[in-house]
Amino acid sequence: MAKTDVELAVPVRRDPWITRDKVVHLLQTKGLLIAFALFLVAFSLASDRFASVDNISTVLRQVAIVGTIAVGVTIVVIGGNLDLSVGSLLSFSTVLVVDLHDKIGPGPAILIMFAAALAVGCVNGLLVGFARLNSLIVTLGMLSAIQGLTLIYSGGQNVDIADQEGTWFAFFGRDFLLGVAVPTWIFLGLAVILHVVLTRTTFGRKVFAVGGNPTAAAFSGVRRARVVFSTYLISAFCTACAAVILGSRVMGSQNNVGQGYELVVLAGVILGGTSLLGGSGSIPKTVVGVLILGFIQNGLLLLGYPYYAQWLVTWVVIILAVWLDVASKRGRLFTTTS
Amino acid sequence: MKRALITSLVGSVALVGAAAAQEPIRIGITQNNVGVDSYQTTYEKAFIEAAEADPQVEAVVLDAGGDVARQIGQMQDLIQQGVDAIIIWPTNGQAVVPVVRQAHQAGIPVVVTNSQIAEAGFDFIASFSGPDNITQGRYAAEMMCDALDDAGRVVQIAGQPGYTTAIERQKGFEDALAEQCPDVEIVETQPGDWNREKAQRVMENFLTKYDDIDGVYSGDDNMGVGALNAAKAAGRDDLVFIGATNFAVGYEAMGRGEYWGSVYQSPVEDARNALATAKAVVMGEEVPFLNYFDTPKITQDNMGEFDKPVF
Repeated sequence: MAKTDVELAVPVRRDPWITRDKVVHLLQTKGLLIAFALFLVAFSLASDRFASVDNISTVLRQVAIVGTIAVGVTIVVIGGNLDLSVGSLLSFSTVLVVDLHDKIGPGPAILIMFAAALAVGCVNGLLVGFARLNSLIVTLGMLSAIQGLTLIYSGGQNVDIADQEGTWFAFFGRDFLLGVAVPTWIFLGLAVILHVVLTRTTFGRKVFAVGGNPTAAAFSGVRRARVVFSTYLISAFCTACAAVILGSRVMGSQNNVGQGYELVVLAGVILGGTSLLGGSGSIPKTVVGVLILGFIQNGLLLLGYPYYAQWLVTWVVIILAVWLDVASKRGRLFTTTS
Repeated sequence: MKRALITSLVGSVALVGAAAAQEPIRIGITQNNVGVDSYQTTYEKAFIEAAEADPQVEAVVLDAGGDVARQIGQMQDLIQQGVDAIIIWPTNGQAVVPVVRQAHQAGIPVVVTNSQIAEAGFDFIASFSGPDNITQGRYAAEMMCDALDDAGRVVQIAGQPGYTTAIERQKGFEDALAEQCPDVEIVETQPGDWNREKAQRVMENFLTKYDDIDGVYSGDDNMGVGALNAAKAAGRDDLVFIGATNFAVGYEAMGRGEYWGSVYQSPVEDARNALATAKAVVMGEEVPFLNYFDTPKITQDNMGEFDKPVF
């Protein structure tokens, strides 16, 4: 339907091969993948190491932590809210699981950590879902509150796992299954499961409904508060999974280890084209967004660019991607009414 | 007559002594961000212990929580309280200069601890107490030369960009390496932001990019152990790891023979040195402008002489 609108608005060119609406349509549907492919080609030409199996599997492992969180946050965002608390929840969960590992063993440590993370998700969900507070304010507040909680819990000390070689906890961050790193399996596994939940279940449709049009959803009998509450539980669950990967990979944790993750995660979600206004988006696209971020940073590092360049390029790419997305939807770069 | 003079002299000395005992030296400290890392947490604990152990000193211990505005407020409070000296661990070396100047104008000597303030403030401070990070970088370079027999290729994982400590250690390392063993080449430097996981990622990328690296210098052991994690995962056990600010994890890795050496920087020494410097300034003693405390090399060979770091 949208295609018809564009065809009406845009005069047909004579060239039968490349018409404007064909390009627009391609960009609309496959823009992200095209950009991704261009990136991969450019970096492969610039660095002979870039396209190696070793490097690709390294990047897939490196993006797993951000990616695991991002698939959860995608659902929150589709539901029309934000979750900025994930960075400090990652710090808290990682410190907790690493600290408890040596005290009560890996199994109980993981269980308690998941319970604590889900409790934080409950608080977010109650405040945003049932109390109907603004999600930006609630989760920004939780960002600081949980960071404070982490410092109180640890007393500022780093935590470490003493026996790094002999614990099965090492499986989650350091092992390989069928030649693929376990963190990558966790990331992609969660992405597949949550993608199915989002696209094939009633709950998934409700998430889109409350994010896209809360009023219509309410009139259709969808209970917004419950749905929003659940999205925060999913986000906290994913963050707890990421904490297991991070703790196992590093075998220790600093108090601020997750600092800044909320922005990187959000960058991946935005790059994937999920609307910050809610109601539209997809998990596979978030996966691609996270991969683009990971490959950009890895590629720039392989080319020897400094850290600052990575951030500059990353955010220029994000802004361009969002612009391209908006422009392709309205058929022009700038709005005519200004 | 002579006897009387001596008696009165002794009497007046005793009087001064008594006055000192009655009126303790009040020293205020505003710290950067206690609780954010183990080093600062241990520092505060050691500072309070040292102040309590000294009957002549009464300490007012404050923490800015990493917030420049709060630190400026705390400085103004301390000036209002009329303490005898202020110790500041700058949250930002540039932004605190005006308030340090205010203290100076109020006649209160200021001692900067751990991280130096901007040069514009040098006229307003009595002394800087802390580690000599240039020397630490040089020590690391000397150990690297030793470990590699003066030839090889190394990568560097630096601290947070913009941090004085990170910049100085990097400069000390690079200058000394070029001077002492020019055949050891730094093939690349990337920041690891004092973050172990970030350093691990950077090292993974280095290992993908270069087949022939012989050594790794990290701006602190926390990052060094992250790099070591990456090398072990990739099966590269032939690399030499040199760090700085010896952490417990670095000490343990050294004990296992996986980590070559580091620089021992004790937050306890750092805190005691700051208190002693401030006290000496108040007592009118001669104090060097840059009052460094000792940060020796620690290697697998001499690590028995050092306690395992508490952080």
